[in-house]
Amino acid sequence: MTRTISKDDPTLFVDSPAALIDAVPPFPPRSEREAEFYALRDGEMLINLGPQHPSTHGVLRVVLKIEGEKIVDLDPVLGYLHRGVEKLCENSDYHQAICYTDPLEYISSLFMELAPVMAFEKLLDLEVPRRAEYIRVLTCELNRVSSHALYMGWQALDLGGLTPILYAFIERDEIVEMLAAQTGQRMLFNYFRIGGVNGDLNHDFMSRLGDWMSRALKQIEANERLLNENEIFLNRTRGLGVLDREASLRLGMTGPNLRASGVPYDIRRAHPYGVYPELAFDVPTRQEGDSYARYLLRLDEIKQSIAIIDQCLHKMPDGPVMAKIPRLIRPRPGRAFAAVESPRGQYAIYAISDGTDQPFRMHLHDPSFVNLQAMGAVLPGNLIADTMAIFASLDPIMGGIDK
Amino acid sequence: MDARLARRLEARFGDRLIRPVAGRHDETEVRIAAADVPEVMRTLHDDPEFSFNVLADLCGVDTGDAMQVVYHLWAEPAVTRDWLRVIVDGLARDDPRCPSVTFLWKGAEWQERETYDMFGIVFEGNRDLRRIYMPPDYTSFPLRKDFHLADDAARGSGEGVRHMEQMRSPAAATASNTRRRAKVD
Repeated sequence: MTRTISKDDPTLFVDSPAALIDAVPPFPPRSEREAEFYALRDGEMLINLGPQHPSTHGVLRVVLKIEGEKIVDLDPVLGYLHRGVEKLCENSDYHQAICYTDPLEYISSLFMELAPVMAFEKLLDLEVPRRAEYIRVLTCELNRVSSHALYMGWQALDLGGLTPILYAFIERDEIVEMLAAQTGQRMLFNYFRIGGVNGDLNHDFMSRLGDWMSRALKQIEANERLLNENEIFLNRTRGLGVLDREASLRLGMTGPNLRASGVPYDIRRAHPYGVYPELAFDVPTRQEGDSYARYLLRLDEIKQSIAIIDQCLHKMPDGPVMAKIPRLIRPRPGRAFAAVESPRGQYAIYAISDGTDQPFRMHLHDPSFVNLQAMGAVLPGNLIADTMAIFASLDPIMGGIDK
Repeated sequence: MDARLARRLEARFGDRLIRPVAGRHDETEVRIAAADVPEVMRTLHDDPEFSFNVLADLCGVDTGDAMQVVYHLWAEPAVTRDWLRVIVDGLARDDPRCPSVTFLWKGAEWQERETYDMFGIVFEGNRDLRRIYMPPDYTSFPLRKDFHLADDAARGSGEGVRHMEQMRSPAAATASNTRRRAKVD
């Protein structure tokens, strides 16, 4: 059977590429900066990166203004994942609000529960049992290790190295299974409660934890050997995406990204919460401020976290894990602000109570949202090929950015 | 509340503070008017006596009567161990305007965009004040207390979406909304 190829054959040609988003917005500029960005000079062109790009860690669209291979400017377009979590929280009671905040940063969801729980406890003037505080720190630090371990894999994956993520997932899976044994969930744990935690540590969790602790450091060091001295990895991270101390402070960055630029701002020390004042650990900093420093800093933090877990296990007191609180809570009118050090930086909740059982206003401050702005400062002047390498080193999670 | 910090704030800013310095737990709270924002924030940031060099958070609040912009600042433990909360109070609900702090913290740009997107508060001096989450052709401000999804859906493409309060108890929806307004100051 012969088949003539015609231009009208729908299987061969697509007339209207409906799935493409035009880089230039179809409306007049809304701000000074937008007008400036979309006015092109000779030799410049716009391209879309995303929204469905595998290495944007979610759904992010970045309009890049390029000249040849060099990036001149960029305009990130957010909101593809916006779910209106703040509004949802205003319409749910205090216990329900925790379930909404927890899937925001799905990689480190225990931190996303901790901040609202702490803010509500402040509103209620509630004292949390010491054992619950220790359990919170213990599980959070485990979560931090899994998050940072996964970051190691991602950073390499975005540079084209496929192997490290497989090892990173071994690390992460062990911790996630461990936390699943304790909380009943693999990703969205929903473990912290206002006034404590949901259930004391069980035998399954403790035996898995003991098993993992005996080889955690060795495993991390094996992963280090895989990447730290790799020539390709060094060439594509060292000296790229440099942010100095002053610039990163002005950008409002927090977390490992800020500490890699030499500012020792860590909420666990800068504004201690929980039982962190009783624990001995260092706040590692680096001076270089490039992608490689951000990578190394997270490795240092993993080691500190393992040390904290070890201390928690030795110092943990006996006792109850929940304070006595009523099922339906109505804090007296007031305002509370609580911040925790999440693996991506300062995650904060600002809650206002009007005396009813629902928060009057609940604001979520997400570290990735602020850190992502650094893209505009570090990317111009770099090659398109390095965009994703630098982007990955900032370690943003779009679920948290878009709320 | 940090009493030492409160005394210094009162001595420094005096009658610029709309209300006496308040606070609970590890938070110290001051209230200022919109016109004083650039100068007060610059003093808090630059003056070695305060040196609040980290902008921990920026957000908007709709109390039902007025709009507020709320900043949370952090300083070295030697200055204070508290969070400093600066509330810009009494912005008119029909035309809320507040000076931008992007001249001190470039990173406030997106947070101000978010506040504009959700509350319609215009930050004068922010070069990039446009919506950040909602689509560009969107006209409402979703976190305002007078926002109803049902009204909004009738205007836009989300027609047929019901507000969650109505889903829970349709009859009580209006009453509960009225009750929840104008309670916080």
